[in-house]
Amino acid sequence: MATRLSHSAALILKALSLGYCFGFDVMEVTGLPSGTVYPALRRLERDALVESKWEAEEEAAKHQRPARRYYEVTSEGKAAALAATERYPLLAHLAPERNA
Amino acid sequence: MSHRLPTPLPPFDRALLRAVVSVVPAGERAEWTRAWESELWHDHRRRGAKRGSLTAGVVCDTLWLRGDSWRRRFEGTAILCIGSLAGLCLLSAVVTFALTGSWTECANYLSTLFARFLIAAPLVVFVTTATTFRRPLETGVSSSPSSWFGRQLFFGFKLALILLLTFLLSANLCQPLATTFPNLADVLQLFSFVVLALLGLRWGFTDQEQRCKQCLRSLAAPCRVGRPSHNLLEWNGTELLCKQGHGLLSIPEIETSWHQSSEWIGQQPAWDEAASA
Repeated sequence: MATRLSHSAALILKALSLGYCFGFDVMEVTGLPSGTVYPALRRLERDALVESKWEAEEEAAKHQRPARRYYEVTSEGKAAALAATERYPLLAHLAPERNA
Repeated sequence: MSHRLPTPLPPFDRALLRAVVSVVPAGERAEWTRAWESELWHDHRRRGAKRGSLTAGVVCDTLWLRGDSWRRRFEGTAILCIGSLAGLCLLSAVVTFALTGSWTECANYLSTLFARFLIAAPLVVFVTTATTFRRPLETGVSSSPSSWFGRQLFFGFKLALILLLTFLLSANLCQPLATTFPNLADVLQLFSFVVLALLGLRWGFTDQEQRCKQCLRSLAAPCRVGRPSHNLLEWNGTELLCKQGHGLLSIPEIETSWHQSSEWIGQQPAWDEAASA
């Protein structure tokens, strides 16, 4: 059974499922403040709807920047995002999918 | 950790991280610092001089981690149960004080009701004990005297706090009537105390049954086992687990001649050794 999400959590999960995988990318695409986005990402991770990973150090070093933590939607999260889109139809128009 | 950053963070961001890092649970500090240094570095590069957009994020993330750590540590524990009941008693006492206006008035008001409470409370406990349905409990592994003593101590404290809380609540409910209709207020106070205490004590008994027999945490993950339509053919009921892995409580749906009691299936000590190896 898909998890029932709040509107802001659904918005964040939708942004992540569209490929916006960093915290401030999610902030920019959803328009939510950082004080909402980062705790929500923690909650989504605790509920196993997303998982966080670190970028490869080599890749970051190549671009002379520190490695970033990024988030990926799990299979449970995908089901929850789908259910949330049905519940909040405007989520479907959030933003275009981001190319990897 | 800053040595990984190609350029240092602005002083404001460094000060912010230093100010809140002590709030983060110790085991998560290194990961948290690394993640936020990176986020702030990228944010600074992207936005230039406009700072502070992630400040709320840093603070809220820190508070969330601390809150979550407390939640994991205290959720369902006996300490939380006793602490919550004691907190509610304190709150009720403050309300009584606010309603009466002074400590002397408050003490006078409560002392007039307290004699009745001392008579009514044992009767309510007796009635609840006699009428609450409690299944006998079989324990697979014999529990140590200290854990039995701990359980009884917790149960006694909990019941005493429930009685005190319901007494204060009933006193608060009827206090506005005490000056104009003293007799009616007395009857209503006694009646509301009995009703609230009966409900509270029933909750206390049920809560006690559904706690781990070893660590006294609330049991979780209730799971239906068996088929209700096969009541007379096989066992069916509910099983609850201790999240700490101390055991499992098996509660039959109905009493049968071959399965009348709830059963606590404790984890064998050999498993503890195997798990710690």
